[in-house]
Amino acid sequence: MSSSAAWKRASAVSLAVAASLWAWWVLRAPVDATQGLIQKVLYVHVPCVLGAYLGFAVTALGGLLYLVRHEERFDRLAAAAAEVGVLFCSLVLLTGPIWAKGTWGRWWSWDLRLTLTLLLYLIYVSYLLLRSFTEGSERAARFAAVYAIAGAPVMLLNYFAIDLAGGRTVHPENLGSGSLGAGMGMPFALGMLTALAAFAHLLVRRLEVGGLRAELDRLEAEAERA
Amino acid sequence: MAVLWKDLVTEWRSRDRLVAMAMFALLVVIVLYLAAPPGSVPEAQAHVPGLLWVAWSFAGVLGLNRAFAIELENEAISTLALAPVDRGWIFLGKALASFLLLLAVQAASALAFALAFDLDLRPVAVPLAGVAALGAFGLSTIGTLFGAIAVRTQYREVMLPLLLLPLLVPVLLGGVRATSALLLEGVLPWPALQLLLVTDGVFAIVSFLCFEVVLDE
Repeated sequence: MSSSAAWKRASAVSLAVAASLWAWWVLRAPVDATQGLIQKVLYVHVPCVLGAYLGFAVTALGGLLYLVRHEERFDRLAAAAAEVGVLFCSLVLLTGPIWAKGTWGRWWSWDLRLTLTLLLYLIYVSYLLLRSFTEGSERAARFAAVYAIAGAPVMLLNYFAIDLAGGRTVHPENLGSGSLGAGMGMPFALGMLTALAAFAHLLVRRLEVGGLRAELDRLEAEAERA
Repeated sequence: MAVLWKDLVTEWRSRDRLVAMAMFALLVVIVLYLAAPPGSVPEAQAHVPGLLWVAWSFAGVLGLNRAFAIELENEAISTLALAPVDRGWIFLGKALASFLLLLAVQAASALAFALAFDLDLRPVAVPLAGVAALGAFGLSTIGTLFGAIAVRTQYREVMLPLLLLPLLVPVLLGGVRATSALLLEGVLPWPALQLLLVTDGVFAIVSFLCFEVVLDE
């Protein structure tokens, strides 16, 4: 318990530090010459993508480890990561259209990355539905793990599939290196760091909830036997 | 093999699954035909490849739901799980039975589409059948895996499409691209075939390996 409290404190402190630095740098960052103020959505949108994909990678990994090792903690990790990932993915899908309306003039376009992110979102919402509609925690864990494992290669295949459909159009290809204007690199990097810290903190908190729930189930089962 | 035989014999004796799937696919054709603006059949032809795959995937989901619903009656699924064979064989039997049924339904509904939208399928019949079979293979493998899962959740019939359709995107996109190139230009595009083949391979391996875990009580 004490190690998890330490994790919680560490992730909370780093989140607070990163978020305040980030907010300061975003305020100070230059206003984009062509897009204007709306370009600042970048500092929220792209970091959230990191959280979304990270969450889903951890979910698949947790599922795989659960099937191999049959330890409940891996299932709790997968479930926690899926929920946090869905949260980030929702933020991506909310901030994206706001930015798109401001720059492309429309809310949505069916290009590669948008479609891919939407599909990712749908797969993991189905994952959470499957968890909540399956009775028995062991069975739910097994089913969910299978779904998460099947979802991972599908995301890779989707990449090629949508590419094939000719979806490579509006979305900028690479924001990482060189394409950012002067003074935009630092708030961007801090945004990524903040997303990472927020992801870690939320994951730790959600794991704590999962642990408490499991403890409660155990105690209730014990009380029933007594 | 025995599982395949059992599924096909059961199906032959009642024919309910095949009839239900075929009827459903036919109804989808009718609904889609009615949904097209009046007098627009020539323009609507460009949409036929996509519509075909809509009908096929919906009929497939319907059939896959039934495939495991019958195993649930009399707890047959537990008996099946106890069978002294590798679970992989059970999976192959179930998947193959679904695959064959789906092929039959695909053939029938393709004919219905050809009639409704005034298409001549004869020149491309063989490659079209190949593309349809590749799609049906992907649908049956991953569908059998998640059919076995969905049937043991609450909201069984609702759960399967929710689980399956997001995962079917590579199959659908590959299938639609290949079919539309075939129907509209008469050529078979290699990238779309490649996607279908790779997806089929991945789905077969994942489903085969995971089925073991799914069947446990």
